[in-house]
Amino acid sequence: MSRFAKTWGIAAKALKRNKLQSALTMLGMAVGVATVLAMMALGTGAQRAIQDQVRAAGMNMLIVTAGNYQAQREDPPPDAIEMGRSEAPGSFQRGDDGGSRPVLMEATWSGSPRFRLAYFHPEDDPFAIHDHPTARQRLGDSEAGLGSAATLTIADANEIRKISGVQYVSEGIHENVHVVNAANTRWFTRVHGDDTALPDIRRSWTFLHGRFFSSGEQKKNDQVVVLGAVAAKQLFGDSNPVGETVTLWKQPFRVVGVVGSSSWLSTPEAGDDQFDAVYIPVTTMQHLLNLSKLNDITVTTVSTGDVTRVSKAITTLLRQRHGITASKADDFTVASQASKALTKGSMRPEVAHAVIGNVSGLEKVTLDQLGKSLDRSSRTMTALLVSIATVSLIVGGIGIMNIMLLSVTERTREIGIRRAVGAQEREVLAQFLMESITLSVVGGLAGVAIGVIAAMAIARAAHWSTSVPFVAIALAFGISTAVGIFFGYYPAREASRVPPLASLRYE
Amino acid sequence: MDTVISVRELTKTYQLGEHKVHALRSISLDVKRGEFVSVIGPSGSGKSTLMHILGCLDQPTSGQYFLDGKDVSRLNDDEVSLVRNEQIGFVFQGFNLLTRTSALENVELPLLYGKSDLSAAERRRRAMEALAAVGLESRWEHHTNQLSGGQQQRVAIARALLNSPSILLADEPTGNLDSRTSLEVMDIFQKLQQERGITIVLITHEMDVAEYGSRIVAFRDGNIVSDTPNDKRRFAGEPELAVIAGEEAP
Repeated sequence: MSRFAKTWGIAAKALKRNKLQSALTMLGMAVGVATVLAMMALGTGAQRAIQDQVRAAGMNMLIVTAGNYQAQREDPPPDAIEMGRSEAPGSFQRGDDGGSRPVLMEATWSGSPRFRLAYFHPEDDPFAIHDHPTARQRLGDSEAGLGSAATLTIADANEIRKISGVQYVSEGIHENVHVVNAANTRWFTRVHGDDTALPDIRRSWTFLHGRFFSSGEQKKNDQVVVLGAVAAKQLFGDSNPVGETVTLWKQPFRVVGVVGSSSWLSTPEAGDDQFDAVYIPVTTMQHLLNLSKLNDITVTTVSTGDVTRVSKAITTLLRQRHGITASKADDFTVASQASKALTKGSMRPEVAHAVIGNVSGLEKVTLDQLGKSLDRSSRTMTALLVSIATVSLIVGGIGIMNIMLLSVTERTREIGIRRAVGAQEREVLAQFLMESITLSVVGGLAGVAIGVIAAMAIARAAHWSTSVPFVAIALAFGISTAVGIFFGYYPAREASRVPPLASLRYE
Repeated sequence: MDTVISVRELTKTYQLGEHKVHALRSISLDVKRGEFVSVIGPSGSGKSTLMHILGCLDQPTSGQYFLDGKDVSRLNDDEVSLVRNEQIGFVFQGFNLLTRTSALENVELPLLYGKSDLSAAERRRRAMEALAAVGLESRWEHHTNQLSGGQQQRVAIARALLNSPSILLADEPTGNLDSRTSLEVMDIFQKLQQERGITIVLITHEMDVAEYGSRIVAFRDGNIVSDTPNDKRRFAGEPELAVIAGEEAP
């Protein structure tokens, strides 16, 4: 160690004697490393941004819905309730005969445009007197609503979690509820019973206050609630509601967080499914409402190109678990986000249905291909960055080698003096090696600093998303050391081979 | 007086193209401890080659070289480096100091190599001592380019003395100095020999420089042509002292 310290001392002094040269060499290395790092940061940022957008668009999302309603194939239960859907002309309607067979209406439908059908379940009625029926009075696990046969369970979700390629899974039960605060202000909104993984699935979420409920709270069926931004504003204004208590179904719930949208595209308004809503643990919801089934299970895949395979795997798994024989239809629906978008978008429902009915295969193919090509392009991008990084570092290393070789020639006399006073070959070698490593490492560290600052500056100026992965910093540091050793060794060996005599004759 | 340097039938041959250059032709020479030997000869006489071999900077083609009783003519590079570090002090015509380096750092250079494992403070203390011995302790932090030629040569002498070597080899030490500073340097050499008993081998081509030594060895064409004690030794110190010492010289 003392020998190392001595060598370092000699090398440091030698570098100090040639400040300008040392500084310029370090600058070369620093610029190389900084460029690499900034590029990697911007590249990774861009890559992440693309993937975020893809994921935010739900390209890697699958929704397993209980029941398998398909137009004109299955009779909905006679007491089925449909809310608010008849507002749009040409949408599905129940015929007068109550035959409850959904009919694809003609576009020339001539009914009164003001005609509205509004069947409410008592519980959904905002003006209902009793807003907390006992569990027995409630629907329980009985089938309710179009196609919402209660077939999915938490055990199903747990099995889906085990499928390879699955990233996050969240169970879902959705109800309407009155949320009441301490001042007895009521807000009628959606309540979602979900898993703790939901914030990871909803990538555009940001927590304005507090946090999502924890897995511990979920396990213990704790009565904790996360408010959507809209619901929070209605109940608590702009103040921080974390720690306050609200009442759902006449049960006290502790507020642990408020979630809002991080998207600048739209501000959530009343009626927003995600933010005019409250979230409670799915287990709490099942426990309080005496339920054992789920409305749906939301699944995300690690890779966007993997959606089709995972969707097939889920179908196979659930059919097996639900004991569905080959000739029977599924009692659930696995749909990708895209097919949901088709029905929710501005497309006319009958067109959408026709599209869904006929092109489910096409949709999968396109999605799959798009996802796979995105994966491929991100791999290409990484390869490109890595090769540019390699070239830059080699250039920096050759710069160091050049300077060191030059300095060996320049410093023949110095080497001779050192040899004359007793320096051994390996001591000269160690000194020159130490010098080049010092140059490259200090240069590399400066490069890391410059690179990170540059990446942040570019990110700020151009509103690009950048991220400097820690790995990149470690890599830059390790590689600059390696470059110092690799490109410093040859000049150092040349230096050590300078004969003590020849160097004294050198004038 | 014991023998410090003992050279037996030393030859050195260089191959220059098709010609063989005989720089040394079977030289035998003994130097006793405390002697101040001046080696004189015209350029090409082989005196510099001898100096390089004596300084372990070069190896003889044949023959033996005993330094302090040990044959150092056939050692490997690491061993020879150690000999240079511990037993030999060099003073060169061109001073050979590290540029842009303080006098102190130049002097402590030998302590950075070899077996010595001293603390930085101890290295510094010893270097200051050596600088004080040549009267430059007040200029320890001056860089070499801020020192005069004579001062630079004194720094080089301080460096040569640092490891208390068996011999001090001086190769034309006054070649780049004016006559006054030459005198100063020769005074230091003579004091080192007389007061500290250091063995000195001085190489020069000027007779008046050689006359400061206690013994003069003359070279011509790779052979020793004369080897005599110096009866008319010159002294660089105060003239009176020089006269008295001169009378007492052997």
